[in-house]
Amino acid sequence: MNQLIQIVIGGLLQGSVFAVVALGFSLVFRVTGAINLSQGAFCVVGALMMYTLQVDFGLPVPVAFVGAVLGTGLYGAVLGAATFVPAVSRLPQSSLFVMTGGILTLTEGLLLVVWGSQPYALPPFSGEAPVQIVGIRVPTQGFWIAGATLAIIVTLWYLLTRTTAGMALRACAENRLAGRLMGIDVPRMTLASFVMAALLGGISGIVVAPITSLEFDTGAFFTNFGFISVAIGGLGSFAGVIMGGLLLGVAEQLAAGYVSSLFANGLALGLLLAVLLWRPNGLFSAAERRQDVRDEQRIHRAIVRIEGKGGLVFAAFALALLMALPYLFPGRGILNSLVITGILYISVIGLDLLMGYAGQVSLGQAGFMAIGGYTAAILATKYDVAPLIGILAGMALAIGAAILLSLVTVRLRGTFLALATLAFGLMVDSLTVGLADVTGGPSGLAGIPSFSLGGMSFATPFQMYYLVAGVIVVLMVLLQGLVRSGFGRALKSVRTDQTAAAALGVNVPRYKMAAFVISAALGSLSGSLYAFYFHFLSPEMVGAPRSFEMISMLIAGGEGTLVGPVFGVALLTLLPTVFQPFAYYKTFAEGLLLVACFLWLPDGMFGTTATWVSRLVRRWSGRDAVALVPGSQPP
Amino acid sequence: MTEAALEVTGLSRSFGGLRACDNVTFAVPHGSLSAVIGPNGAGKTTVFNLVTNLYAADEGEVRFYGTPILGLQPAEIARMGLIRTFQSARIYPGMTSLENVLAGAHLHVRAPAWRQMLWLGGARREEARLAARADALLDLVGLAPFRDAAATDLPMGAQKLLEVVRALMAEPRLLLLDEPAAGLNDAETADLAELLRAVRDSGITVMVVEHNMSLVMGVADEVIVLDAGSIVARGTPREIQRNERVIAAYVGQET
Repeated sequence: MNQLIQIVIGGLLQGSVFAVVALGFSLVFRVTGAINLSQGAFCVVGALMMYTLQVDFGLPVPVAFVGAVLGTGLYGAVLGAATFVPAVSRLPQSSLFVMTGGILTLTEGLLLVVWGSQPYALPPFSGEAPVQIVGIRVPTQGFWIAGATLAIIVTLWYLLTRTTAGMALRACAENRLAGRLMGIDVPRMTLASFVMAALLGGISGIVVAPITSLEFDTGAFFTNFGFISVAIGGLGSFAGVIMGGLLLGVAEQLAAGYVSSLFANGLALGLLLAVLLWRPNGLFSAAERRQDVRDEQRIHRAIVRIEGKGGLVFAAFALALLMALPYLFPGRGILNSLVITGILYISVIGLDLLMGYAGQVSLGQAGFMAIGGYTAAILATKYDVAPLIGILAGMALAIGAAILLSLVTVRLRGTFLALATLAFGLMVDSLTVGLADVTGGPSGLAGIPSFSLGGMSFATPFQMYYLVAGVIVVLMVLLQGLVRSGFGRALKSVRTDQTAAAALGVNVPRYKMAAFVISAALGSLSGSLYAFYFHFLSPEMVGAPRSFEMISMLIAGGEGTLVGPVFGVALLTLLPTVFQPFAYYKTFAEGLLLVACFLWLPDGMFGTTATWVSRLVRRWSGRDAVALVPGSQPP
Repeated sequence: MTEAALEVTGLSRSFGGLRACDNVTFAVPHGSLSAVIGPNGAGKTTVFNLVTNLYAADEGEVRFYGTPILGLQPAEIARMGLIRTFQSARIYPGMTSLENVLAGAHLHVRAPAWRQMLWLGGARREEARLAARADALLDLVGLAPFRDAAATDLPMGAQKLLEVVRALMAEPRLLLLDEPAAGLNDAETADLAELLRAVRDSGITVMVVEHNMSLVMGVADEVIVLDAGSIVARGTPREIQRNERVIAAYVGQET
């Protein structure tokens, strides 16, 4: 009994942090209508600043606390003003969502550069000795956490309901345009909500740091669980998200205490999926259907099309370059990176079809890589199955999972669909860690053979390069054929206006599912090849951060072009190889690249380059060899 | 007696306390060009939205060439040959004018996805055929010069026309147009009237919701007048012009 109570208390403490992060989500959502995925990162920013001030500089706890909270607020203000505020008015909802994921990655990268990758733990504020209350041991830090959480809730309630600034914040939430007409400085309110959410995160991160260990990338954990709390509680209600956070904390600790800590994540995610499907508005909100009915009208991409002969010339040139690359760069390091680029590109092509054409955001693409990778690897190592059969089995499994996922999420759109895919990715992640007997657990699966086909083995990077290049050429031909025809038009119409598409007879759910299935199959293929190439597979090679990395690659290269993403993949894969010290900054660069591309390069590298080339061609020849149409401007 | 393309019986829908559509009954004869007019907020667009199941109706029945369609998915209704346009010209951003029109032919793309993937001759010939038809239609309404321009860069009037042409690509049996003349100048409106007559003469039944009286009175075979969710009058344009209830609804209570 005592053990149960102790677990529940631990769960409530953990849960109160989730609740505060969820409050931050809810606050920003109320003001801007956007889900800010970077929310969890501020917990870590606060805690690590606290560590430096308290432990390295030896400042007393209250001084260090104030310093760390102010530092977090300042960081939030600079970051918010530079990235989030301009993005809110410029980007469509789904892009904004992905971009905040970029802000998360950027912050993680910054933390990695400043504090390194080792775990940190703060000393408790009032000594190590726990307090005994009727035989139950409670760590003294627990009182600090509970107190801070209560203080935050009360302060927030007071600010929002009893002050003019709070009213203005709430007015923005109701109607941004009307708020502006009433003389409310909406960008400033947006920034205010972002900074307030950062402060909330910072405080909760600082108070919880003594009972948990924090690393540069723990922010993603807080984001995920805060987000799940929001989904459980319902975005609209502050009381709901607090309950959601506490419930999630207790459920997670119970699962960890009585089942296995390895499955705790999986169970939390199962809870999330169940809530999303059963009560899509959250457990504590009025039961209205959660559906993002806003269609994405604000798409301001250039239309990149290379016409007739120009296309043939381009294709021939690309093919020649593809074949010649290993001879142009014979160095082993670069060739190796080229192979990895190709393998990841296969997965990103799938993502492009799903995001760039069908307009469905997926944060779980790495989950399909994991399915393909582990299926092929396990079949090959444990059952001696031929690699090709393993690849096909992985693809079949991934397609099955994709169909299942799209059937259960058919009612969800926009952010909530993305949330479901995130949950899927994390669930696969936790399975690969948890099913240690089959997958080798966190330490990975070694001894995977090379890919071979009918006695021919692809063991060297050189051989593997041509195998991957061949696969890519075939995929390009097939998918270009698809997107230039009726199927591609149907996908694009689903992306831009589902209502109009349906009115013209497009079976919207079926096309979404088709795109999802193709992208899952390609993710799986890529994962299998990845495993065969490295002869080793571990959960973090195909974990949730990989999903975000692939989105960065896609956006940086140029979505909706099939060809474009290769430049994004190459950039993020080759740079660390060519410029070794860069590896340390890779996470930071990924985040920065994603954010910067969304803000300043919406067409990606490919789209922007194509625009420039077409201008040059037109100037030289006086005619349109590459027909390009400028994108429509956002209203 | 001609067959009815569309039969609406007792159609009702409330939003909160507002009866946006109150026991509306009418029939659209096959091959006719009908118009629905009425002051702002009379429920004209609501009728369209109920017929195409964008909103669910509270009560009533809708038959399309005899088949009940109420409650069917919008895509299924479209597949039966009932195609509509929208008040706010919902053309697809991120596509050229030509692609927009081609997208209208969705129901007539016969080549399955795998044939498109393999660039097979049949699929490519079909594409070429559809593109030729789309070009012809663009040319017909004078949008050929904007063929390769981003559709959202066109002026509002051209976007409305583009939407009509896109709907025609779907080869509808019944075409529902929601305020096609909004945003058009007088010359363009005259062209549109010409187009609508041609469409009707080609055998497609047409029904328009419209504010523009000169368009309605010039082309419609029959006019239905809605006010506050109910039908207040119906008849030929000449009859409607003399109807006192219609004048009252438009000009105000003077009788």
